[in-house]
Amino acid sequence: MTKTIVVTSGKGGVGKTTTSASIATGLAKRGFKTVVIDFDVGLRNLDLVMGCERRVVYDLVNLVNQESSLNQTLIKDKRIENLYILPASQTRDKDALTIEGIARVMHKLKKSDFDYIICDSPAGIEKGAKMALYFADEAIVTTNPEVSSVRDSDRILGILQSESRRSKLNEDPVKEHLLITRYNPTRVKDGQMLSVDDIVDLLAIPLLGIIPESPSVLDCSNAGKPVILDDESEAGQAYSDAIDRLLGESKPHRFMEAPKKGFLSRLFG
Amino acid sequence: MSSNPGVELKGGMYTFMSLKLHTSDTDIIDQLLADKVQQAPAFFKDTPVVIDLSVLEQLTDGELDASSLLECVKRHKLVPIVASISDKSSPLARSIAIPLIDGGSGAISESKSNRAAVEDNEEDLQNTAELPNNEPSEDDLAVPRKIEYVVKAPLIIDKPVRSGQQIYARDTDLIIMGQVSPGAEVIADNNIHIYGPLRGRALCGVSGNASTRIFCSSLEAELVSVAGNYRMLETIPAELRGKATQIWLDNDKLNIEPL
Repeated sequence: MTKTIVVTSGKGGVGKTTTSASIATGLAKRGFKTVVIDFDVGLRNLDLVMGCERRVVYDLVNLVNQESSLNQTLIKDKRIENLYILPASQTRDKDALTIEGIARVMHKLKKSDFDYIICDSPAGIEKGAKMALYFADEAIVTTNPEVSSVRDSDRILGILQSESRRSKLNEDPVKEHLLITRYNPTRVKDGQMLSVDDIVDLLAIPLLGIIPESPSVLDCSNAGKPVILDDESEAGQAYSDAIDRLLGESKPHRFMEAPKKGFLSRLFG
Repeated sequence: MSSNPGVELKGGMYTFMSLKLHTSDTDIIDQLLADKVQQAPAFFKDTPVVIDLSVLEQLTDGELDASSLLECVKRHKLVPIVASISDKSSPLARSIAIPLIDGGSGAISESKSNRAAVEDNEEDLQNTAELPNNEPSEDDLAVPRKIEYVVKAPLIIDKPVRSGQQIYARDTDLIIMGQVSPGAEVIADNNIHIYGPLRGRALCGVSGNASTRIFCSSLEAELVSVAGNYRMLETIPAELRGKATQIWLDNDKLNIEPL
């Protein structure tokens, strides 16, 4: 059974693409045949984060318009077995996508025995975002610990409930997961950011993970490497925990407390 | 428990929604039903209905395709339970594959003996007045001929109402089993009950009913309104915020009190 997961947020710049790349990589690393699709037609980014920007020949729009085959269009990751990238087009816009066209692509992917299809949604609540979430079985809602991001996530949760394929066909609702990114416990303590409890209380959906704010996220993006592959970094470990929870394991949440200041840093900090 | 007879068979009165047909054209019925159901899909879902054929059996033009009618009703998620018809031996009655009951409500003046007299209103009225005496049946003694009121079921929402969503309960109560997010709007012609935090806007009695109320388990609303009298969050006393409260109108003054 293929599972389709959309990574969405409403708001831009909260870490959808970073999350899509790491979730897809994490699932493939555990042996699941996984494809990650960039739905941000016109603002192609995922290929950069995945480090395959020089290998893009055909893209999602070509595939939707039946100008290329699935095998021609999918880019196989060089590091991880079982991981494929379906890039967006940079020269077209979101109007180039149609539900029927995407349905055809999804059908082909399911016939190719993919276990997971990860859909990296564009920001906003317009056509592109709606296309990305339409076929979802599950949704990872990415939220930063600040009010406007939480409000936009709430909005996208409403759209998931009313405009996804599952809701239109009256099937079981899309399973929702909350992923809090750029969490900085020190700033939460100082009252500059919302706490995990506040966010969970406001959105009322199960918490999949907390990704701490970490310089390694930016370093990895610049290097074209999903941060989950950086075992040393807290962000990488947090994504790895999130994969475990996505696969049904229960794990305590980490990286919620501000680091205790050591003796020296207290003296000089 | 020892006196429990196992089964009890007795008469009872229940209120059902009735679907009165004025046409035998199932395409038109289909369209009209679609429009109706679309206004409140949750309200109509799996609702038992009585198919009222009292008007249709008087019409001579056009045969009713009973099986496609039933299919059409079921397709809109309504559950046809019985058909109400006065002439149980007519071809129309025999073609419909659900139980029949005597065409009761409102069909009296249209009984067979009166049909010839439709031109003469006065005579029609007299006949109508006499009719109940003409044919009293056992049913009449137990069940009144006409039920004039219909209790409309509340609109129940069993998931959170998210920012940007708007829910309207027309002519009835609205019950929300969860939170109402900031930027969401819940509206009812009758009362509103919210079993969760109210963080968005809630407006009850919007068609003017000033005796309606809002109940919520945690008041954090952006705006509350009863029959057009509203208050914003900043004018709500701080000690009431986050409390289970009810909101009602007393002589055009909006009252908010803890439950």
